[in-house]
Amino acid sequence: MAETLFKRWNRELTMAGAGILLLLPLLGIQPKTYLTLTIAGLAMGMLLFLVASGVSIIFGLMDVLNFAHGALFAWGAYVGFTVFQLLMKWVEADSILQNLAVFLMAMVAAMVTVAILGIILERVVVRRVYGNHLFQILITFGATIVLVELIRVFWGPNDEVMTVPRTFSGNWDIMDVIVSKYRIICIFMGSMVYGIIQLILKKTKLGTIIRAGVEDRDMVQAMGHNIYLLFTGVFAVGAGLAALGGVAMSVFSLQVYPDMGGTYLLFAFIVVIIGGLGSVTGSLVGALIVGLSYNYVAYLVPWAAAGVNVLIMIIILLIRPTGLFQAGK
Amino acid sequence: MNETILKVEDVHTYIERHHILQGVSFDAKADAVTVLIGRNGAGKSTALKTVMGLLPASKGKITYKGKEIQKNKPYQIARMGIGFVPEHMGIFAELTVEENMRVAMLVENDATARRLERVLGMFAALRKFWKSKAGNLSGGQKQMLAIGRAIVNDTSLLLIDEPSKGLAPIIVDAVIEAINQIKERSVVVLVEQNFHMASSVGDDFFIFDDGMVVHSGRVEELTQNEELQSRYLGISKGVTSNG
Amino acid sequence: MAEATPAHFHMEEKRRQYRSGSFYLKLCVVALFLLVPFLFPSFKTVDLAVQIIIFGALVASFDILLGYTGILSFGHGMFFGMGAYCMAFLIGKYGMPSYTHLVMGFVVAAAASAVLALLISFLTLRVKAIFFAMITLAIAELAIVLATKLSGLTGGEDGISFSTPGIFSVSFSMGDFMGIEITGRIITYYFILLSCLGLFLAMLRFTRSPLGRILQAIRDNAQRAEALGNKTFVYQSISITFGCVIAALIGCLYAMWMAYVNPESTLGVMTIMLDVLLMVIIGGMGTLYGGFIGAAFLKITQTFLPDLQHLAKDLFPQALLLHNILERWLLLFGILFILVVIFFPKGVIGSIKGNKQ
Repeated sequence: MAETLFKRWNRELTMAGAGILLLLPLLGIQPKTYLTLTIAGLAMGMLLFLVASGVSIIFGLMDVLNFAHGALFAWGAYVGFTVFQLLMKWVEADSILQNLAVFLMAMVAAMVTVAILGIILERVVVRRVYGNHLFQILITFGATIVLVELIRVFWGPNDEVMTVPRTFSGNWDIMDVIVSKYRIICIFMGSMVYGIIQLILKKTKLGTIIRAGVEDRDMVQAMGHNIYLLFTGVFAVGAGLAALGGVAMSVFSLQVYPDMGGTYLLFAFIVVIIGGLGSVTGSLVGALIVGLSYNYVAYLVPWAAAGVNVLIMIIILLIRPTGLFQAGK
Repeated sequence: MNETILKVEDVHTYIERHHILQGVSFDAKADAVTVLIGRNGAGKSTALKTVMGLLPASKGKITYKGKEIQKNKPYQIARMGIGFVPEHMGIFAELTVEENMRVAMLVENDATARRLERVLGMFAALRKFWKSKAGNLSGGQKQMLAIGRAIVNDTSLLLIDEPSKGLAPIIVDAVIEAINQIKERSVVVLVEQNFHMASSVGDDFFIFDDGMVVHSGRVEELTQNEELQSRYLGISKGVTSNG
Repeated sequence: MAEATPAHFHMEEKRRQYRSGSFYLKLCVVALFLLVPFLFPSFKTVDLAVQIIIFGALVASFDILLGYTGILSFGHGMFFGMGAYCMAFLIGKYGMPSYTHLVMGFVVAAAASAVLALLISFLTLRVKAIFFAMITLAIAELAIVLATKLSGLTGGEDGISFSTPGIFSVSFSMGDFMGIEITGRIITYYFILLSCLGLFLAMLRFTRSPLGRILQAIRDNAQRAEALGNKTFVYQSISITFGCVIAALIGCLYAMWMAYVNPESTLGVMTIMLDVLLMVIIGGMGTLYGGFIGAAFLKITQTFLPDLQHLAKDLFPQALLLHNILERWLLLFGILFILVVIFFPKGVIGSIKGNKQ
């Protein structure tokens, strides 16, 4: 009886377990600090979601594991950096309007540039290795090397400082809880992106076709849809999401550096393994889990912060290897 | 009047290193249901998939309404008016019945709406489960959905792969009824192992064995030729194969 | 009249093998390396030779995973680093430079790496082979972070310096021989050369063994793999463990040469792992020899690149972009890498072998 119970509620139990684990730190941390950490964790989670969702969707539809995602993320950050440099006055101005404008422009520039890079990447390189996971990893890894080196060629090999727009920086003090403004913005952004993606997937014909393609690629083709165009499009969108994450993350961490893609790619993989490859909701939940646990552990046991996510990933692999959510949700 | 809509000439297809189709030729005429029959593994499904472009023909020619299509991609072939119902039905389980049909509809205009009405008229269950997930349908209902999807566009050639597989006899009769209605508007090429089904709807037949077409003719001849039936279809004398 | 018995056939094969051109080529290469300390006594050249030997063998052990088993692991650098650190712990930080500790270093490295490799294999192979790649990346990065952060245990970013025992130590000298002084360095060089040769022969033997053939069959024919069912991942695990243990042993040898370990230079993903991947692809995967070709090509190019840059600056003084691009040799190798994966998936050796058939 207990066994069938476990089988049916597998996912719910796992999530309940995750929920309990996330509340455990309350035992060791002051509630107010806990809240600050929670917000930090949610913000980090949202940014990770932006990067991871691209990997997840691309894998779900195209069965392609994109190791170049981190490099695209870094490119997004650098394009955003350049926009900030060009319009530094607006960044430093004490006007919400100007800050918002330059931020939006940075995001749009980054997304468009990287989407184009993504299209080139998909058509020239990735297309040749459809169906062969091993070569996909190798070739996208090679692409990463090239893309990161190009960053060094165009922008130089040093770390650069990313300025936070004036009105985005600073904190709000809500009942003694320090809440960073930018983190709230990140949470808001991530939720909006999630909402938009779900809207497109569930309510538009394109989204329906994509969801169908995740289930059965060949059938969608046999029904008259140009699956190759769809692939290129989805790849471009995934790349764009990575770029968005890059811009947002660079403002979050106040810096850009050529290898920044590597660290976040790793996080993205952990997120999709936990959340389930091919599921956008899974990426969100996985990302939030990763973000929150990282922040709690970083406060309690600093050196273990990196390890706790790997640990969670291993646990998920043991009890529910396909991840929390299945493809297509 | 009986022009040839689909002509397959000496087609070879490989799957990995296996030479599945070794020079297959058959055709489908207008106003007729063409049945491809034969044992398991004879290459019937492969032939259908090759016509649809899902498998590449390494040699040979496929002509549809006078145009060569062996080099076309599946989505181009579908847009020419060829519908496909695969062996595993190919319905999208996580999508609703409505969403399945929407993916199928290439253009959403009045003509399509009319055809949709006709499909729902043929298959009442689809209307009933319109908003339910396709994965929750029964086997027979899924088959109806698969067929419905394939004919909601302006389909002139319908390729169906083993529609009776795994279905109860009473459902098989419903499928036969549906195909009889469909054949008034489209040319149908049917792959079947089920002799009862094949002989109920078919007009012309082609027997597949080991990747080649070994015999062809009118279905009436086949029903009377027990020797052919036992040799290529494994049907022994005195025992009729049913659903 | 020659009888066609299996034994006779085998001997004929061997005879043919010993007479073939490629065999003599291999013999010449080994001879060359044997003579390096005498022909090119400068430290830079000997160091280059050691780098080629070590990385050649390391890449060959990686090829066991990639080319023969068909599994991509980003953790190979970690196993290499593990071996180096084991040696550093046993004859340095937690032990002392003695021969027993040296041997223990090898043993501990082999044991630890075997356990870890089996653990990871069990954890991931039953899911999807591509997960192996992602997870080894995660674990490798984690290893670097731990090595850096737990500085009390591991010496942190600064690493561990130590001296090698007895005849291998830098201060040892055996007197002159044929014009050069036989120092501990030279002896270490020969030890490394012979050990790597031995390991390489062991790997060759492994690929030609029945297990090796089964693995190649699995790699080439997915259906056959499915038919074997669960056994597939058992075979893969054994093969992976074998490759990782060898990597760890090579790491020990590397530690002996450098007498210094730190996270960046021995565990680094972007350092060690990157080089290994470039070498295996350019040299040729699925052919153990490709490792040496790739290692030699990369290491020699890296060493002589500054000279190439000067040459370019002299010939084309105005082409700033050219200078920039040459400075970023990694960019060029990255492009080469992609081109090789697309057009010559079998690398240099594989293509030559393929043409012969």
